[in-house]
Amino acid sequence: MAENGSVQGATIYAVEEYSVHEEPYYLPIGDEVQLFETAYRQRIPVLLKGPTGAGKTRFVEYMAYRLGRPMLKVSSRTGEEVEHRMPLITVACHEDLTASDLVGRYLLDTDGTRWVDGPLTRAVKVGAICYLDEVVEARKDTTVLIHPLTDYRRLLPIEKLGQVIEAAEGFLLVISYNPGYQSALKDLKHSTRQRFIAIEFNYPPRDAEAQIIAHESGCDDRTAMDLARLGEKVRNLKEHGLGEGVSTRLLVYAGRLIAQGIPARRACQVAITWALTDDSEVQRSIEEVVTSIFE
Amino acid sequence: MPVSIVTELLARYHERLSGFPAPLGQQFEAGLRALANRLTPSQLQAWAETGVELTALSLRSWEAAVEYFRAGTSYPPQAAWDAIETVGRDALQMAAESAPLAVSFLRAAPGAMEVIGPTNVHAWAELGRRLYKGNWKSSSLAAQFYEVAPELFRVLRIGQATRLVIFIDELARHSYELASACLASAPAVLSRLEEDDRLPFITFATELAQTSWADSRLYFDRGVPLIEKVHSALRERFLLLAAQAARGHHQRSAYQYFEEAANALGEVDPNDHQQVIMLAEQLAPYSPFAAMDFLTAMPTVLQRIRIDELEAWQQAGLRILQASAEGGEAYFRLQSTRAEDILENLSSRVELSRVGEVLRLYCKALTGRNVSIQTAESLAEKGIGWVDEHRASTDGSTIFLPELMERFPNKEENFAAMKVFATHQAAHIEFGSFMFDFDRAGSIFPTRRHAFARERERPATTDMEAFFDLFPDRQLASDLFTIAEDARIDARIKAEYGGIRRHLVRMQAEELERRPPVEMLPLRNAFVENLVRASLDGLHLVRWPRDRAEAMSRALGILNALQAPGATVEDAAEAALALYEIAVSIPNIYDDVDPGSWGAVEPMEAGQAMPMEVAGDEGAAGSQAQLGGSGPGEEEYESPQEIDFRGDFKPELVDLLMKLRENAQGGQAGQQQTMPLTPEQLAELLAKSVEIDLGAMDEGDLDASTGMFLSNLMKEAGTPASEKGDQGGQPTSDNSTGEGEGEEPLKPVVTVYYYDEWDFRAQDYKPRWCAVKEAKLEEGDEGFYEKALKEHAGLVAQTRKQFELMKPEMFRKIKRLPDGEDFDLDSAIEWMVEKRAGANPTEKIYWRRNKIERDVAVAFLIDMSASTDEEINKRDKKHDDDDYDDDPRKYLSWWVSKRRQELTSPPKRIIDLEKESTVLLMTALETIGDQYGIYGFSGYGRDNVEFFVIKDFDETLDQKIKNRLDKITPIRSTRMGPAIRHATFKLMQTDAKVKILFLLSDGRPQDHGYGRDRTEKEYAIHDTKQALNEAKREGITPFALTVDRAGHDYLKTMCEDMGYEVVADIESLPSRLPTLYRRLTE
Repeated sequence: MAENGSVQGATIYAVEEYSVHEEPYYLPIGDEVQLFETAYRQRIPVLLKGPTGAGKTRFVEYMAYRLGRPMLKVSSRTGEEVEHRMPLITVACHEDLTASDLVGRYLLDTDGTRWVDGPLTRAVKVGAICYLDEVVEARKDTTVLIHPLTDYRRLLPIEKLGQVIEAAEGFLLVISYNPGYQSALKDLKHSTRQRFIAIEFNYPPRDAEAQIIAHESGCDDRTAMDLARLGEKVRNLKEHGLGEGVSTRLLVYAGRLIAQGIPARRACQVAITWALTDDSEVQRSIEEVVTSIFE
Repeated sequence: MPVSIVTELLARYHERLSGFPAPLGQQFEAGLRALANRLTPSQLQAWAETGVELTALSLRSWEAAVEYFRAGTSYPPQAAWDAIETVGRDALQMAAESAPLAVSFLRAAPGAMEVIGPTNVHAWAELGRRLYKGNWKSSSLAAQFYEVAPELFRVLRIGQATRLVIFIDELARHSYELASACLASAPAVLSRLEEDDRLPFITFATELAQTSWADSRLYFDRGVPLIEKVHSALRERFLLLAAQAARGHHQRSAYQYFEEAANALGEVDPNDHQQVIMLAEQLAPYSPFAAMDFLTAMPTVLQRIRIDELEAWQQAGLRILQASAEGGEAYFRLQSTRAEDILENLSSRVELSRVGEVLRLYCKALTGRNVSIQTAESLAEKGIGWVDEHRASTDGSTIFLPELMERFPNKEENFAAMKVFATHQAAHIEFGSFMFDFDRAGSIFPTRRHAFARERERPATTDMEAFFDLFPDRQLASDLFTIAEDARIDARIKAEYGGIRRHLVRMQAEELERRPPVEMLPLRNAFVENLVRASLDGLHLVRWPRDRAEAMSRALGILNALQAPGATVEDAAEAALALYEIAVSIPNIYDDVDPGSWGAVEPMEAGQAMPMEVAGDEGAAGSQAQLGGSGPGEEEYESPQEIDFRGDFKPELVDLLMKLRENAQGGQAGQQQTMPLTPEQLAELLAKSVEIDLGAMDEGDLDASTGMFLSNLMKEAGTPASEKGDQGGQPTSDNSTGEGEGEEPLKPVVTVYYYDEWDFRAQDYKPRWCAVKEAKLEEGDEGFYEKALKEHAGLVAQTRKQFELMKPEMFRKIKRLPDGEDFDLDSAIEWMVEKRAGANPTEKIYWRRNKIERDVAVAFLIDMSASTDEEINKRDKKHDDDDYDDDPRKYLSWWVSKRRQELTSPPKRIIDLEKESTVLLMTALETIGDQYGIYGFSGYGRDNVEFFVIKDFDETLDQKIKNRLDKITPIRSTRMGPAIRHATFKLMQTDAKVKILFLLSDGRPQDHGYGRDRTEKEYAIHDTKQALNEAKREGITPFALTVDRAGHDYLKTMCEDMGYEVVADIESLPSRLPTLYRRLTE
């Protein structure tokens, strides 16, 4: 196992050793925090639904931090008391992600081959929260793994090793899914869906979003409010090739540019208008909304 | 002495003349006597000799002699012997050729001499002789020329007449009748022209006679009024330009150029003619047609740019013209995208048609609703209460804006103004102007309206009606509510939209400058006017009698309070109520105190100004009385002057319309079903409302117009919102408005799309040149589809199999990868072996399955031109002919077999095979699951490219579509370009990774006006090629298949680097098509 180390300023973790150290900023919009905590206690897998940039990943990090906070653990190696944190393993799923990418595979070694655990296997072993982001993107064979892990069995079969791993106490599978932009082909199967409770994420209401933008970007409240207003307006244009409209993330980017002294209209142009669409007519329309809101 | 010479000469010639009819002798004597006093004896003798000589020239020349002698009696006094002698000499020459010609010459000579002067007589005679060509018709033409001399020379000098004769002569070569008619009308026509314009008029006529002589009559008939449309000082230059254009050969006749240009100039301010013609003259050396087209385009162009901007546009075109005549001509014909673009760039005005889509999305973003944008004019046309064609407004679901904005000198500012207009209307929707609820409390003002409510006979139809019913003076109430609500909306806009604030403030300031002087108004009107000013941020412009300051101050305080961020429409209503109370307390009289006593007013503090809440019932009874209208001796109250950018605000009408729409849609789920409105209710409502001026809508009796209004309103309410946005007709505007609101229309809808066309000569697009009319193809016979399948059963099975084979390739195992799902056993063993052997093994020992997703969309474009009607057997006749080798017995048996074949199955046409192939392909495509659309095209002319949908991409193959297939029939021409562009547009709406455009045709593209003339091929081929290129640029794979054996020659040009195939043996089409398709997508 790789030791925690530092190369050129970047901190390197083994996947299962990464945990969230600083409290991530998360502004609860509804009862999602309480829901997640309860679900975690009951080990009910969670499905996070919602458009991109609405805060799903941030929420998982926040929850990992919250759930990990109270626990302290004595290190087996040194005997020192170290803070135990909830390990969080995040896997961004893509269309070529196969089951063996998750479970593990044999790698070449000097004298033959060596088995290496995949991220899911590691999460199961250490009892981490395993977050499969955009799960529908992955190949269908991954569902074979998800199913036994998400019902009462909590088992991970590793076919190639002929093993079955019982999940460690703290393990929980969290998946996310964006109902907006997947085509009907990539819809989540019902047999999969019905193993999770679903927490729906949407873009926060204007005031809350302004608060988030202000916090994340460091721009002033007035700008944050204007950005939130802009977000709301642009989201009204949803079906014009804009997918789900502008994400909170992009609004934060714009806010950060503005906070650093980029003129507001220009910042919105690069962070929002051009980021959202290539259609010149829609661009122009968004631009008009921008110029109406920002001086 | 004179008597003696007369007698002597009479006697001398008596014998010679006695053989002729009596008049000859009589005229001779009369002539002698008349001239005796003017001429010397020798001259007189010479005169007589000439006359006698005339008689002897030919059988009928004595008639000329008669006229010769008669002329002697009527020469004008100034005619000297020289002139008379010349006449004689000319007459002799003429009579030698044609006696009648000489007759008419001589008859006209004395009169002509008077007009043109004796010295020009010979020249005149020569002109006439020029027209004489030795035949009867020419002789009578020349005679006519002499006859018109007196009138003609009153308007022409002899030199100018020469030009006229050249023209008449030219015309006579084509038609004597026409020449004669023109000659006859010439004096009258020319007399109507200024003297300087006559020669240019004739010059153009001469050119016209050479190129399109038949138009000369038109020119003579109508030319003068046309020329008069040109500024009088410039007519000559204009005609010279026209003459230059006539010299060349072109599609249109020179007269047409002339007529169009003249008419166009008629629409242009005469003061601009100088500049316009000067610019046209610069073009003429390169192309006189371009110069004329430039003139013709002026009304259109000058509508969009100012005269001082014209040169820039002309210069840009001139540069193109210098490089390519075709390009430049297209530019000035306004058939070029570049011309449009440059015009658009130069033009400072903003046209709604160009920015409508952007504004629509903008308003949609602001309001979060599917608003559509239309012109204010279209709202007025609906006849539902809005009458002004230029003021912005909204009916709650559509925003109406003026068609043009040109109040500022540059485009940006004009657009900003348009945007302010749109924003104000959108804000009405966004901030709930039309969501008034009579029972809901406002957030700032105390709720007092209930206290004023009267007993009602029936519940109010709308909340707005309930509110306005509170007031005896509805007009005043409506005006105050409008001011209050607009003030609230503007304040909200300023608070929420910091970016537009600057423009809004500017518009407000401009409006303030336009306000009428408040001191001149009667007091109540002045009060309202002051409120308007205050609402426009013009507090500093409020003027009011100092001794009444308190009322005004309170009112201003109320208006101020309303501009707080949380104010709602209900607050505006409360404010209106409070303002109304103040207003009615002010008598509408002219304040007789001197203007010096008027001064500025400071608004009261909000808290102080706020009206007190009415306590319980106690105030209710009395309060109604407080709202009384104007008293005796007061001026009539008049509504304040309109504010442009705020447009027309009709809350009551919009409320009603929304109610009606709700009813028409049968009430949304979950909503309480409202009672349907009766026409009586409506009529009552409308009679009360001050928002509708029925009289202004339509003259005539009120009942009729009310009835019409009601039916318009019902129609409007019943119309699903989705049908309202189609006025643009642009490819993008069809599917974007009001989705999901209305039901599917039942009858087949024709949607019109416009596409540019490529003009390869001009190297530019002709903007919006072709109208593609898309409609679903009718349904035909049910049996066709199955029959075709049965007929080709073998082939069907075969193709289906072929296509099924393509399917399992969804996952392909790829080996020898550095990383993958698992080891590939073979590679792993190899690796081990090599490693053990000490070699350096490759690490590529993994395999993985790669998903090859088939994501194909294909559009089939089937040529439904008339030529596909051709029977296939006929094509193959040549081969058949060989079969019987001139042996009659063989021929007979061949014929019999052919007949039998024809009886059992009628001869197949190209289109039949196209259809059958399509059926086969469709079954194949269904197997493989590709998205596909099947379209047919035909049409005639650029305005009518028919595009038939047989199966759209989003339709699934059902019986309806199978039936439509049967209706694929040969119709008309083949204008491929626009059809390809439209199919491209269709393909671009699918999200498939691979897009294919499959063109199935039987020949080259061809259509009316698709090229310079019917025989030209290049234009059509180039446009088609360009359309295919455009498709390619969009990432579409075009493929052309033709059954035209001669297809290679043009397909090579058309599909330079694209796939194409010529199927020589058309019978093989059904098997060939699926194979080709398979190959194309593998």
